[in-house]
Amino acid sequence: MGRYLLRRLGFALLLVLTVSSASLLLTHLAPGDITSEQSLTLDPAARARLRAELGLDRPLAVQYVTWLGGAVQLDFGRSLLYARPVSSLVSERALNTAVLATVALFLATVIGLPLGVYSGSRSRGLGRAVVRVLSIVALSVPPLIGSLALVFLAARTGWLPVGGMTSAAGFDSTWADWLADLARHLPIPALALALPLAATLERLQSQAIAKAVHEPFVAASRARGLDQMQAVIRHAWPVSLRSVLGLYGVMIGALFSGSFVVEVVTSWPGLGRLMYDALKARDLYLVAGCAASGAFFLAAGTLLADVLLAFADPRVRSEEAR
Amino acid sequence: MNRQSRALLSVLLLGLVAVMGWRWWSSPQDHADQATEIVFSDVSTRGGVLTSSLRSEPRTFNRWVDRNFPPELISQITQSKLIRINRSTQEIEPALAQSWTASPDNQTFTLALRDAAWSDGTPFTSADVLFTFKAVYDPKVNSVLASSLQVGGQPLAVTAPDAHTVVIKYPGPFGPGIAMLDNLPIAPKHKLEAALTAGTFAQAWGVATPANELVSLGPFVLSRYEPGQRLVFDRNPRYWKKDASGAALPNLDQLILEVVPDQNAELVRLQAGQIDMLQQQVRPEDIATLRPLVDQGKLQLLELGVSTDPDLFFFNLRPEQWAKDPRRAWIARKEFRQAISHAVDREAFTNTVFLGAGVPIWGPITPGNQKWFSPNVPRYGFSIDKAKELLAGLGLANRDADEWLEDEQGTEARFTLLTYRGNSSLERGSAVLREDLRPLGIAVDVVALEQGALTERLVKGDFEAIAFFFSSSNLDPAMNPDFWLSSGSGHIWNIAQATPATEWEKQIDELMHKMTSGTDQAQRKQDFDQVQKIFAENLPVIYFVAPRMYMGVSSRVGSMSPSILRPQLLWAADTLTVRATGATGQGGR
Repeated sequence: MGRYLLRRLGFALLLVLTVSSASLLLTHLAPGDITSEQSLTLDPAARARLRAELGLDRPLAVQYVTWLGGAVQLDFGRSLLYARPVSSLVSERALNTAVLATVALFLATVIGLPLGVYSGSRSRGLGRAVVRVLSIVALSVPPLIGSLALVFLAARTGWLPVGGMTSAAGFDSTWADWLADLARHLPIPALALALPLAATLERLQSQAIAKAVHEPFVAASRARGLDQMQAVIRHAWPVSLRSVLGLYGVMIGALFSGSFVVEVVTSWPGLGRLMYDALKARDLYLVAGCAASGAFFLAAGTLLADVLLAFADPRVRSEEAR
Repeated sequence: MNRQSRALLSVLLLGLVAVMGWRWWSSPQDHADQATEIVFSDVSTRGGVLTSSLRSEPRTFNRWVDRNFPPELISQITQSKLIRINRSTQEIEPALAQSWTASPDNQTFTLALRDAAWSDGTPFTSADVLFTFKAVYDPKVNSVLASSLQVGGQPLAVTAPDAHTVVIKYPGPFGPGIAMLDNLPIAPKHKLEAALTAGTFAQAWGVATPANELVSLGPFVLSRYEPGQRLVFDRNPRYWKKDASGAALPNLDQLILEVVPDQNAELVRLQAGQIDMLQQQVRPEDIATLRPLVDQGKLQLLELGVSTDPDLFFFNLRPEQWAKDPRRAWIARKEFRQAISHAVDREAFTNTVFLGAGVPIWGPITPGNQKWFSPNVPRYGFSIDKAKELLAGLGLANRDADEWLEDEQGTEARFTLLTYRGNSSLERGSAVLREDLRPLGIAVDVVALEQGALTERLVKGDFEAIAFFFSSSNLDPAMNPDFWLSSGSGHIWNIAQATPATEWEKQIDELMHKMTSGTDQAQRKQDFDQVQKIFAENLPVIYFVAPRMYMGVSSRVGSMSPSILRPQLLWAADTLTVRATGATGQGGR
């Protein structure tokens, strides 16, 4: 297991470096640079001075090697946009995204998996049909429309704040009040992220469980006297998790690297918005830093999913042991 | 019950739920209003908190090195200038300079500074003014304000005989006179001198700077910045300005700028009462959405007037762009541009792009700029026949079976139009232009680009035609020389020419130099009228419609001085008031 973890860690580091390097190089290839938006108001000499100050006049290879030297020491350079270290900007926003992603992942799991088990373990019934229709609707609605619909719902009802992570008045409050304020702001963006994921999980879990209930060992457990639900939960469900947990790695990576659409519509100050701003302004180092963060979470999510799978499915443990 | 029946029943049940939900949604929402009811009876003109939106975050608080909107807005709220142009009346007002005298040649101004103090208690003196000019003119600072504080490319000479007097000498005659000083927020010497000496002024006052370092001479002082969320400004108790009754300004206790990147979410927040005003004007398509709230007395829809920054359309007129192009015989000719201007039905354009809220225009100066607008310029009324006649004069005719015109060499009348992705009026306007030119036989390929990529293409001259917009912060054309002068970096159709490429550009250069240095205001207007006439004859840039602008504001906001220029209301944040509310659900207010 130790060697396996080391191998995965090596893979994660390689992924982070590759993704961030590719982001930096591709951003460099796009037309313009961070001084472009001032090009109509700065004379060419002033713009050249600005580019020199920012180090953009150096050859790409020199810029990249300098950046890479820092990156291997976890120093991703300074943001050209904000004139701050990329690592501090990314960590600040990654924390906000992590809060949202954790809640969304929890919601997606507690909504998607039970509904998937329910619909997959039944071959017919009104409840199964309703769950399927709702899942298809949730899967079909684009994130922008889903987020806007939830924001409109919050605005119409007045039950929840329309956007933001905390309210202005919450800043000077006690920890308990601050947490309560945060909890009021979380449902809209968390649901916007969680509902499509819950629907994906439901569909996947439903298909996996429908297949697993026909395995001989499930039939044997029924023959030993377990009722349908006990047989599904104790025997079919752990086996069905193999395909579901495989998806978790990707889901964690996607959620923790920030959703631009949801974060913009709900004004959540997360990584997705930071990445978008960096891309718009051609802030090479910030783009690379955000991409590194996303790649790290993707690798970590995949690893976590594999470990969970090893715990859930005895066949995986025996494969690893071999 | 078979499978089909169950599926049908499921769909019917979902449909029923949807219909009931829709009826509830579209019925009057008393329950939503209970929590956010505004109590109008308790009227107060002092104190309170006003919340506005801000669409993008500041990258720095250093206005002297960043020309983007967030630092400009923050500067308006927290800093002061020597004099101020009233954005509503366009008149010059005293600010940190309580009075001034001008020399007979109008080139030397002696300013008497008022007794004022920075928000940390440090007295404001002429040393701050000298320091600010020194910083702006320092080449290492690369200040974005430097070019706007020059006359004929030369800096102003600034001296200070004593702590409360400043003498500013212009290197030559300058028509707008002392109005130029409206471009310069005064910097605190006691906080920024070390950075200037160390050569790090451009990096000073970044967004990570502690709020207590950002001292203010303006109505508010930044009390905290929550990245990605909001900026909170508290009343500056040492602000120098008083209202007509002698009471200290500002009226508000606190001003909050909530960062709301999405325009739809911004509108929803205004509707929900979680912000009091939008960062900028309401989009035409959103006016109908806000009307019911206006009728209910919850919102005000302020008509600001006709925009002074209309969308514009222009061809690349650099000779080298077309030197080897088979279209060179006609595409850069003024008759081609005149034909396009004739082919666009501006009434229909107004209705399609701005939903009727706009006025047809024929040049860059719109009726919104009352002081400088000239109605006496050549106009190109909607006429397909006239357009076809002009095109025929260029040798363009339909010589084959398709719908497009060709020249004598068989080159199709076609060009690529770049526009700014995500800007609804530009995207709609480009589509309308493409459709309007189709009956004429001119094919337009519209390509939408991100703003940075578009600007880069523009500056490099790597384009055929562009539909774009610019925001001006000053209505006096002499303050926007980069656009008018052939040597200017904002002379978008042919940037930064060493010598004027055409006779008419030379004429405009001469007239602009004359009106910029002239001090007789009537003569300046007459000269600029002539500039507008030459411009409209040659159409280096074609204008179609200037939108009417509206601002959505909560009914609890009062004492506003709306302006057509950004920031439309917060430029006079010191006088704004809010009615006290009994709200419990107004975003924490």
